[in-house]
Amino acid sequence: MKSDFSHYVPRPATLVAKKELNELVTLFEFVLDSGKPLAHRPGQFIQVSIYGVGEAPFSVSSPPRTDHNNFELVVRRIGSVTNSLHALQTGAKIGIRGPYGSYFPMQKFVGQDFLFVAGGLGYIPIRSVLHYMLRHRDEFGEITVLVGTRNPQERIFTDQLAEISRRKDVQVLETVDVPDDKWKGNVGVITTLFPKIRINTDTTSVATIGPPVMYKFVIQECTRLGIPQNRIYLSLERHMKCGVGKCGHCQINGVNCCLDGPVFCYTDIAGLGEAL
Amino acid sequence: MIAYTIYLPQTRELLKNWATELNVYVPTMVEDGFYEFRPWNGQVEIAWDYDLCYTTLKRFFLPPREEIISFDMKKYAASPVIEAPKQLLFGVHPYDIKAINQLDQLMEMDNPDVNYQARRDNTLIFGLEPVHVAETAFWSSMGAASVDFGYDLYWTRISPGAFFVQVGSARGEEMLKVGGPVEKSSVAQKEAARRAHLKVLAEAQKHSLKYDWQKTPELVNKFFNNQVFWRERSQTCLSCGSCVLVCPTCYCFDVKEEADDLLQKGSRYRQWDGCMLKGFAEIAGGHNFRETAWERYRHRYMRKGKYIYDKLGELGCIGCGRCVKACTARIANPRAVYNEIWEAIKNEV
Amino acid sequence: MPAKPKVAFFDFAGCEGDQLQVANLEERLLDLVSHIDIVRFREIKTEKRDNYDIAFVEGSITRPEDEPRIREIRENAKILVAIGACATIGGINCLKNFINESEYKATVYGDFSRWYSTYAARPVSAVVKVDMDIHGCPIDKNEFARAVKELLLGKIYSPPKYPVCVECKMAGNICRFEQGRLCLGIVTRAGCGACCVNEGSVCWGCRGIAPDANMDAAGQVMDEHGFTWLEAQDHLRLYFGCNINKL
Repeated sequence: MKSDFSHYVPRPATLVAKKELNELVTLFEFVLDSGKPLAHRPGQFIQVSIYGVGEAPFSVSSPPRTDHNNFELVVRRIGSVTNSLHALQTGAKIGIRGPYGSYFPMQKFVGQDFLFVAGGLGYIPIRSVLHYMLRHRDEFGEITVLVGTRNPQERIFTDQLAEISRRKDVQVLETVDVPDDKWKGNVGVITTLFPKIRINTDTTSVATIGPPVMYKFVIQECTRLGIPQNRIYLSLERHMKCGVGKCGHCQINGVNCCLDGPVFCYTDIAGLGEAL
Repeated sequence: MIAYTIYLPQTRELLKNWATELNVYVPTMVEDGFYEFRPWNGQVEIAWDYDLCYTTLKRFFLPPREEIISFDMKKYAASPVIEAPKQLLFGVHPYDIKAINQLDQLMEMDNPDVNYQARRDNTLIFGLEPVHVAETAFWSSMGAASVDFGYDLYWTRISPGAFFVQVGSARGEEMLKVGGPVEKSSVAQKEAARRAHLKVLAEAQKHSLKYDWQKTPELVNKFFNNQVFWRERSQTCLSCGSCVLVCPTCYCFDVKEEADDLLQKGSRYRQWDGCMLKGFAEIAGGHNFRETAWERYRHRYMRKGKYIYDKLGELGCIGCGRCVKACTARIANPRAVYNEIWEAIKNEV
Repeated sequence: MPAKPKVAFFDFAGCEGDQLQVANLEERLLDLVSHIDIVRFREIKTEKRDNYDIAFVEGSITRPEDEPRIREIRENAKILVAIGACATIGGINCLKNFINESEYKATVYGDFSRWYSTYAARPVSAVVKVDMDIHGCPIDKNEFARAVKELLLGKIYSPPKYPVCVECKMAGNICRFEQGRLCLGIVTRAGCGACCVNEGSVCWGCRGIAPDANMDAAGQVMDEHGFTWLEAQDHLRLYFGCNINKL
């Protein structure tokens, strides 16, 4: 098939609202200028352009929804694109390419129990899946959410999480690596929460996203609990530059993270030496 | 098979004709022992017997730097930039055609790359049977001594004054007849071309893999976890990227942009990049998924020997030997590395 | 940063060749100047003011009394940019660091040497924090323009970290080592587009050692290509003087 369509051309979108989540992390709400929905699925990413500054990949943090067309990104100030994003005022424009990549197979999870394991900013894409499930709560079984953060100051979505943990149909457990004077919750890395949860390992699927070092330990814990590899899903972070499988930057062994990922079933990457 | 016989004096007239329609590039000696494709302008002397074109031909389809979109920072609009000059590469060796065929497939796969395809669509390729083999080349053992597609015409010199020209496409045939009718080849001329091929093949086979190339994916995969091997080989790696930049099958790129001086408009462009460069697999925040030279070094041999094979069924290395020359540390030779692996585990495979 | 930042140029020990490159932008400078306010630039204007946001500093620090001056500039500027090899890596001023102080003082100032203070040459970053480097001897005016534009767009320009070989391959040059010539492109930070090699010369290393250069390997490469230690040293000392103690 030949056409003049270029994958490299972004579509304009407008900043509808922004909200600071902590000193470095901000929630952004955008809408495509076309008036159409982004049409993403939980776990997918988009490429965001600030013209003149550059382009960077971000996972979409909001769940797909049908009531309006806005979508949310949660961005940590870390480089030039993210700094520029933080400087944007409501009404400002950005460029969008995507959504790209694989996603969490929500249909497969219907009727299943679910365990979320989110480390640090890994909560951002997890949130898309979690909120999808909460919006379709009756389609899923028990939901358990584990959230680990380096320290209390870096926690994000504290209000939302507090609200979710008040629900009777969701269990939320939080931990921080390094507490401050006010922290009353669990202290330790995320795996220290595993002994505190009660899940039926025969019916539970897992979604885990976090910093690269985290995965090995989380998978160990899941395996110890008896959750089979084919029910563990994770999202791998790589630097997707083109987003369409050409530029090579996001390769994990022979796999393009932007096409076959970022969401993988653990069985599919267990044999890839460069994955975890 | 349709084939014609073209005599040397005819080539000049043909070139003149072709040059009125498109940019014609021909191999020529640029410095003692170094050949490059240069625009044909009537004065350039064609090196019919060149052994290797120093710079990879991928630059004709995937230029070192290529604008892909232009944007307006005030209106926040962007539009594609697709440039595709009409060009003819006259005198491409079969291993280089094989490399282009590979790029064609990879750029088409999943999400077609319009910039590449537009350039490729506007390019005619006239192959040329080599008569000399570069010292560093080993294409005959990588399944790249001949190609059965990817050219519009394929030229074989069958005598000092004559070429056996095989037709690869209707467009190629048309180009051959642009100055009037041409002579159909005889069986004897076809036989002469076959002999010319066998002659150069015998020369090429002096440098070869010690095993059938099809075994390479299995071999390198078995060596994936042999850190000692990769670490030792890569000790003197300069991480300069030369091996991948000169490779005709490597196509990785970086994406950058620059605003104009009034900060109103700008362009986004891609430029050659390579997995051997340290920052290649780095993500925002600084984590690097191939932090060390040995991991990058291994990735290159895995990519050439297995990952591309998994996608296309052929190796990502066509044996041109450009990387062997380009690496000043002399550690980039795929033939040497694959042979070493073969020697180490041939009894297990 | 204000909408129209004030920009000042300063020079220490150097030839002002980098500021000349900026002046050489000619008509492009007019477009760029529409976004900035140049308050101090000896190459193009005599009037000067000491209120600035961005300071471009050329030249190396070669005297004790340079230090308070550069510290003051650092204090006044929101962003300090080192321009040119002398400022970013010490540059050829560092050649003197290989001979002892009394010798170079006597060579330069003769009988008056005790009137002048001078010490081992060093880059600006050896004394104060530098926010951004624009490398080269001289700098590339296009790279300068790009860096300024990126600053205006809220971005700190970062030059490539890989060696010159990358750009040399992009330019399609024949490797100098294949020609039997000694070239520092294998360890020098890129960003120049391999301009010297493009013009038939070799890379002299003016952009400094690439952050992850494998110097041991470079030594071996030079050795295996038949260059003596002395030849290599002559090349390396020209620009890398400040980076390496035992060149």
